[in-house]
Amino acid sequence: MKKLILICSLLLVFVSPFIGEVDIDLHKLTDASSIDYRVLVNLRIPHIILAFLAGGILSLSGVVFQVIFRNPISTPYTLGVASGATLFSAIAIILGFGAYSSLFAFVGAMSTVLILFAVAMYIKEYSPNSLLLIGIALSFFYSATLMVMFYISTLQESYEILRFTMGSLDTLGYKHISILFVSIVLFAIVLYRYKQEFRLLLTSYEFAHLQGIKVKQVSYILLFGVSIVIGVCVSITGPIGFVGLVIPHIIKAIYKQSTDKLLVEMFFYGGVFLVLCDLIARNMTQTQIPIGIVTSFIGAPFFIYLLVRK
Amino acid sequence: MLHIDNYSNHILHNITLKIADKNLVLLGSNGVGKSTLARVMCGLIPSNCVSISGTKLQDIAPSKKRELINYIPTKLDIYDNYISLKEFLSFSTDDSLQIDKLTELLGISHLEQNSCTTLSSGEAQLTLIASALLHNARYTILDEPTSNLDPNYIKTIFEILSNSNYLQNKIVITHNLDFAYKLGYDVVYLKDGRVDFTGTSQEFFDQSNLDRYYNKHIQKINSNIVVSL
Repeated sequence: MKKLILICSLLLVFVSPFIGEVDIDLHKLTDASSIDYRVLVNLRIPHIILAFLAGGILSLSGVVFQVIFRNPISTPYTLGVASGATLFSAIAIILGFGAYSSLFAFVGAMSTVLILFAVAMYIKEYSPNSLLLIGIALSFFYSATLMVMFYISTLQESYEILRFTMGSLDTLGYKHISILFVSIVLFAIVLYRYKQEFRLLLTSYEFAHLQGIKVKQVSYILLFGVSIVIGVCVSITGPIGFVGLVIPHIIKAIYKQSTDKLLVEMFFYGGVFLVLCDLIARNMTQTQIPIGIVTSFIGAPFFIYLLVRK
Repeated sequence: MLHIDNYSNHILHNITLKIADKNLVLLGSNGVGKSTLARVMCGLIPSNCVSISGTKLQDIAPSKKRELINYIPTKLDIYDNYISLKEFLSFSTDDSLQIDKLTELLGISHLEQNSCTTLSSGEAQLTLIASALLHNARYTILDEPTSNLDPNYIKTIFEILSNSNYLQNKIVITHNLDFAYKLGYDVVYLKDGRVDFTGTSQEFFDQSNLDRYYNKHIQKINSNIVVSL
C-alpha cells in the first residue's frame, strides 16, 4: 500500500509538468528554441518544483509547530507569520512598490516573528501557550489592518491584494526557487542537529528538561528557523493554507509511527500534495484556480474522512 | 548534599532543607506544596535557592544536571501518540537489554511495543518507575509512585525502593503512611507551606506525633500504620 502510494506520487511529480493548457510535443523538446521546450523548462518545471518545495516546507513547518506548541491544530499561520506577510505585501501594493511585494512580505513575516520573540522575552517562564495567544492576537490585528488597506485602496490594488491572499505558484525562472531551496536545506540542517532534542519534545517539556535538554532555547531556535523559511515561502507563493495542518496528521494516520521517524515522509508528501493540487488548479477549468482554494477543497474532506474512519 | 536555602513562593514559605546523601520521605496534606517543592528541587521551577554539592542548580550544565537529579511525576505525559513504551524508556538508557530486564521485573514486558498513550494509569506509573530506575540520577524524587497501583504492585515497588541496588538517593512523596513507615526513611513533613518536622522514621511514626499531625485518625497497630475510618 505504502509502496503503491510512493510510486503513484513519483509518477505524479514527473508527469505533472507535461500536463497543462498547452500540449507539449515530446519530439520538439530536443529543440531548445521551440515553444514546447520553453514552456516546459521555463514555466512548467519551475512551477512544479516550487509547488513541491512549498508543499514540503509547509507540511514540515506545520509539524514542527504542532510539536513545539503541543497543539495538533497549530501551524505557522496560527502565529500570524502569514498574516504579517500578507499585510506587508498589501502595503507594498498600495504604496506603489508592487514589484517588491515579495520583499515586503518577507519583512512582514520576519517582523512578526521578532515581535513575538520580543514579547516572549518578557515572559520569564517558558509558556508556549502565551506565545500562541500572542500570535493569534497579532493575526487579528493584522487582519483588521488589512481591512483598512482594502478600504483605502483602489479597485485595481484591491484585486492585487486579494490575489496575493489566495496564494499562487506562478514563478518566472529559478531564482526564487533557489532561495527557497537554500533556506529549506539550512532548516533541515538545523532540524538534524537538534533531532534528539526534537524527539524528546514529543514526550513532555518536563521529561525533556529532566533529560538535560534546554527546552526553551531549543524551541526558540526551531521556531525561528521555521519562521524564516516560511517567511521566504510565503513571500514567493502567498499564504497557502491547510497543507501544514492536514498533511502531518494524514501521514501519521497512514504510517502509525512517532513523528520523528516521519519527517522526510511529511516533507515529501506535503510536496506531492501541493503538486497534485496545482495540477488540478491548472487543468480543471479554462482559467487557473488559485492554489489556496484547491488545497482546502481537497484537504478538508479527506481530513474529515480520516478522522471519522479512526 | 542537596541544599535548599530559604525558598519561598506563593505556596511555600522559607523552605530550608539540607538533604544528605540518603533516602527521604516527604509527607504532608493535599495541596501543601510537596510536588511544588519537588519541582523546585529539580529545577522545573527555576530558582537560585537550590544547590547540589555546593554548586547552584542553574549553574550546572543541563547534561550534568541530568546525572544529578530526576523527578518522576504521578502521571505519564506524552504528546506523540505513537511513542512506544520501549522507545520512551530508551530516552533514559541506550542499553536495550537493561530495558528488557526491567520491564520483565515490573511485569510490563508484554507492553513494550504498545503506544504509551494507550497504557492504563497503573501501567503508565510502572513505566515511569522503570524510566527512573534506568535514568538512575544521584537524587530521584518519586511523586506518589504507588497512587495508581494495585496491592501486588505496591509490594513490588516497595521491594524495589527497599533494595539499595536500585536508585542512589530516593526522595519519596506519598500519602500511603504504612508504605512510608515500612520504608524507614527519614521524614520531612510540610504543613502550611513550611517544613514542620524533620527527623527519623521512628520519631515521626511515634503515636503521639501521629496524633498531632493526623488528628488521631492514624493508629499504629502491630507495627502497621492504619487509617481509622
